[in-house]
Amino acid sequence: MCQSPYRESNRTRGRQAVVCFLFIALGLGFGVFPAWAHKVTIFAWVEGDTVYTQSKFSGGKKVKKGTIVVYDKEGNQLLEGKTDDKGAFSFKVPKKTTLKVALKASMGHFAEWTIPEKEIAGVADSAGSRTRGGDVQVPTQQAASLTEQKATDEDSVAKAVGLSRGEIQTLIDGSLDRKLAPVLTMLSEAVDSGPSMSDVIGGIGYIVGLVGVGLYFTARDKRKDAR
Amino acid sequence: MHISEGVLSPTVLIAGAALTTAGVAAGLRKLDNREIPSTGILSAAFFVASLVHVPIGPASVHLVMNGLLGLILGWKAFPAILVGLGLQTLLFQYGGLTSLGVNTLNMALPAVICYYVFGWAVRTRTRIFVFTGMAFGCAFCAVLISGIMVGFSLYLTGEAFLPAAKVVVVAHFPIMVIEGILTAACALFLRRVKPELLEGLYVPEPIS
Repeated sequence: MCQSPYRESNRTRGRQAVVCFLFIALGLGFGVFPAWAHKVTIFAWVEGDTVYTQSKFSGGKKVKKGTIVVYDKEGNQLLEGKTDDKGAFSFKVPKKTTLKVALKASMGHFAEWTIPEKEIAGVADSAGSRTRGGDVQVPTQQAASLTEQKATDEDSVAKAVGLSRGEIQTLIDGSLDRKLAPVLTMLSEAVDSGPSMSDVIGGIGYIVGLVGVGLYFTARDKRKDAR
Repeated sequence: MHISEGVLSPTVLIAGAALTTAGVAAGLRKLDNREIPSTGILSAAFFVASLVHVPIGPASVHLVMNGLLGLILGWKAFPAILVGLGLQTLLFQYGGLTSLGVNTLNMALPAVICYYVFGWAVRTRTRIFVFTGMAFGCAFCAVLISGIMVGFSLYLTGEAFLPAAKVVVVAHFPIMVIEGILTAACALFLRRVKPELLEGLYVPEPIS
């Protein structure tokens, strides 16, 4: 194998070019690291008798004018609406059942969030006779008597203050909703933080690995040919 | 550009997957072992490009880079894009596993079309002006055709074609221009330092 110096320099230059190219590709990705795109997420939570939803693209850009469709457990459409400029959309609980909130943004983006019946059951009729169906059911006799005891205690407290249980419950729910609102907003912000650095490096690693596997098999072929 | 899971009808998903399989088979047949590294590097570039978010326009869009892959790889863009997209789906949750076939087709077929329309100018030694223009056009049209194909996929599932395609194409207009410039810059760079990568075939080294 005799190579002219020109050929040699050309090859090193080529290798440099490939390395440069890879760095350009990586630089493009990492230079703008916090700005991800192209996936939508929806986060829905219940406050009082209203369901709030927050929709955004992966990376935090809000989904404007995205269509929100609400289905019940059986898949019947209950209502439809559009998100505002902040990606938010809220609606009154239409039915006391498990709700599926689907987001259809433009260009084939789709995401879904399910609100279990338990969360809704607790609020839908907080004004009137309150059934505590959503609470934890304790099966044993002893525990049952304990909760009964507790319930009567609560009743006596309610009598002493001069408020019915339902009213106290509504007050507590109201203040809890207020206190928890920032937490829920934070959660809705954090529900998707976009791909992490390890995802990116992992993906590139996979591709390098695939190249390695490809070269391994072709190299074996060559050895057979040589024989 | 990534169509999510649960949007398209099963017929469209299966048709997309079948066509993608054919395209990948064609690409792998053309894949020479000396081209495996360059294909891998471009696949990695495609994988990473989707993280470059362009905050211009009405929606959230990112670079696609299928024009550059088409320009250099031709049919080999199919396996390269399949690998890149598959990893984006698994690691970033972009798109979905069932829509992987359709998504690959939507991005790789325009790459191959542009390879045939614009590739000749880049493979042969044309004047630098024509060369740059063709590289720009290749990337521009690849994204444009991809947008139209995404619109068409949605149309086959029941959305109105013109509004759907218009939304995608309008949203990606800044991307077309940016990718055109990037691809032209990449092609010029490669023409200067590694022309054999653009010429597609490696000239066999003289053995003596």
